[in-house]
Amino acid sequence: MNRRTLIQWIAALPAVLPFRGLPIFAQPRELTPDAIAFLHEIAPTVLPASIGAAKVRSAVDRFVIWARGYREGVALAHGYGHPRLQKSGASPVPAYLTQLTSLEADARARGGRWSALDLETRRALLDAAFTKAGVRNLPPRPLGQHVIADLMAHYFRSSEANDFCYHAAISREVCRPIQITTRRPAVL
Amino acid sequence: MPTHETDICIIGGGITSAMLALKLSELRPNLRLTVVEAGRSIFDVQNRGRYRERALEYGEHPWPEDYVEDQQAAGIIAMTMAVGGLALHWGGACNRFSEEDLRLKSMYGLATDWPIEWRELERYYCEAERRLHVSGEPSPHPEDTRTQPYPQGPIPLSYNLQLLKAWAEQSGLKFQSLPMARNLTPFDGRGGCCVYDTCGEVCPSGARYSPDFTFRQLTQPKKIVLHDRTLVRRLVLDDRKSTVVSASGVHQDRPDETIDYRAKTFVVASGYCWSSHLLLLSANARFLNGLANRSGLVGRYMNGHRFINATANIDDQTYPGQNMTHSLISREYFRCRADRPFVRHDTRVWESSSGRDPRLRTPDGKLLLGDELMTDWRSRTKGSSVRLRAYVDVHPSADSRLTLDASKKNRHGDPMPKIEHHFDEPTLARQAATKAHVLGVFTTLAKASNGRIVNTSEGDYLDHPGGGCRMGVDPATSVCNSFGRTHDHENLFVVGAPTTPTGGCTNGTLTFVALTLRSADEIARTIS
Repeated sequence: MNRRTLIQWIAALPAVLPFRGLPIFAQPRELTPDAIAFLHEIAPTVLPASIGAAKVRSAVDRFVIWARGYREGVALAHGYGHPRLQKSGASPVPAYLTQLTSLEADARARGGRWSALDLETRRALLDAAFTKAGVRNLPPRPLGQHVIADLMAHYFRSSEANDFCYHAAISREVCRPIQITTRRPAVL
Repeated sequence: MPTHETDICIIGGGITSAMLALKLSELRPNLRLTVVEAGRSIFDVQNRGRYRERALEYGEHPWPEDYVEDQQAAGIIAMTMAVGGLALHWGGACNRFSEEDLRLKSMYGLATDWPIEWRELERYYCEAERRLHVSGEPSPHPEDTRTQPYPQGPIPLSYNLQLLKAWAEQSGLKFQSLPMARNLTPFDGRGGCCVYDTCGEVCPSGARYSPDFTFRQLTQPKKIVLHDRTLVRRLVLDDRKSTVVSASGVHQDRPDETIDYRAKTFVVASGYCWSSHLLLLSANARFLNGLANRSGLVGRYMNGHRFINATANIDDQTYPGQNMTHSLISREYFRCRADRPFVRHDTRVWESSSGRDPRLRTPDGKLLLGDELMTDWRSRTKGSSVRLRAYVDVHPSADSRLTLDASKKNRHGDPMPKIEHHFDEPTLARQAATKAHVLGVFTTLAKASNGRIVNTSEGDYLDHPGGGCRMGVDPATSVCNSFGRTHDHENLFVVGAPTTPTGGCTNGTLTFVALTLRSADEIARTIS
């Protein structure tokens, strides 16, 4: 390719590439290592410590995978009775990163690392953050309003949490032989 | 213009179309059968486990692109338009109607009678249950006598439902396992039930019947021709006679090219909405109000059932999540004595976690964190919530209608349908008494285990809709006969939900299939 052809080719690019709608600066689609580390620091406050440190860590890891697997612009369940087409919105990750940065700064302003704050201070910080994000109830699944509410929803709405709550092997979302369901679930 | 020649052209690709095509291919294997469906084929059972996971984790729709964005109607209950239709993601409930549904006029002086004998319909119920491989148990009511057993035993009651059955039957009502089109063991190329518990969304094992399996079985050995992504926009009449000569369609990828489907017989199997819509769209100089519409009743008497819900709190301890898509049904109130105020409904009972789910805040607003939240949740799991629902028999008036909405058009310029349901005067007059009766039944149930009703609600749409091409004997008061053959065009049939005069008081799909299988016999018998 000579120089003239190259310039013509570059000049023609905007006409053939779907640039419109793309953000000038790419938004992050994954939580950063720092953000993940901070999530791990917050998790023992918002997830039940009684499930054990390993399961708390695992719950955070699964949430990070959830965030990574989020897809934008995908058709959501249409609903029944009054159906309507709606599509998934933008990735929640950029907002998650901002919210984590903000929480970390708030913790610092109260005297130090998150884990060094007393429970009531942590509760007050989360309460304010949830209120600002419009989170009133535990979301039915992560909905992108606030990263910590979504982490909590991801765990507390899980089949695993349901079993832990009832102290029983119900296995709500687990493929299993139907005969198992005819018996009282085994005590965990 | 491309022309496609066939013997029978079936328009629509839902459950009635699948059953019709299957039966006709057996009865008349030498006939050429063509199914034309506006939506796409989604024959990818291997992906459904992943679709289910994405639906649970992200709320994504588990049937990718099962809709046509500009082919939507006002007043529909689901926007699915694909090969398999709404039965891609139905729950699989296979309840029969009862004889009362067919004799409303003669027994109660209400609505109208169906032009078919119960004994005959019962025969086709048996066939429908066999073809859908329904799992069920005989009804405890002698009026529900069956001539053939269910092809499978009942879905085993979960521990929760066993408790709830014992609880509910203290009221004096008898309950049974809900009959469902769900394989207990692998059958007919589909897996056995693994309690994925997402029957109403997607069944990864294929245990819950969906018509895509039937279409795949029919198309792979070329027993039928399936044209998907092809919208039939008009039925075209012979210039001089009143027979239909062709269906005019258009493929999604070639919107400017009309495809002419020529057949001896045409069957509109497009469900409660799109069947009437196509007949109305097919108006011409001789049939100004649309085809099959000399009576003026195409798109009228749109039916379905109302529903009333409640949640009860009881002392018995259940473990929500065992098999939430299965339920109990009582057929006690399918019957109503003629000398009593008319009220008919089914009564359904599900396990539930309503009001006992994890919550973020205490009632006074304190934010709960970690073990506090778990402790609060656990403290509210003592006893059980029970979900109750009744489908109530209501009857449409003539102005319960599907009309063409000129303000909403698809890409081809066709007006889209608009459905508005209205009830006849007797239904309106008894509405308050019906509600009081149903809530009384719920209250009686709840009391049996020191329980109480904690909330009630009423549906704001009609479920299992039908009508629009109601069957009857008199061409002046109906669109088609009991076989779905239209009174005005001898080679044009309508099958399934649109032909029902009234909507019953329980899930309608099995009835739509039974009626269609009966139509199949007639079509096979009479086609030259």
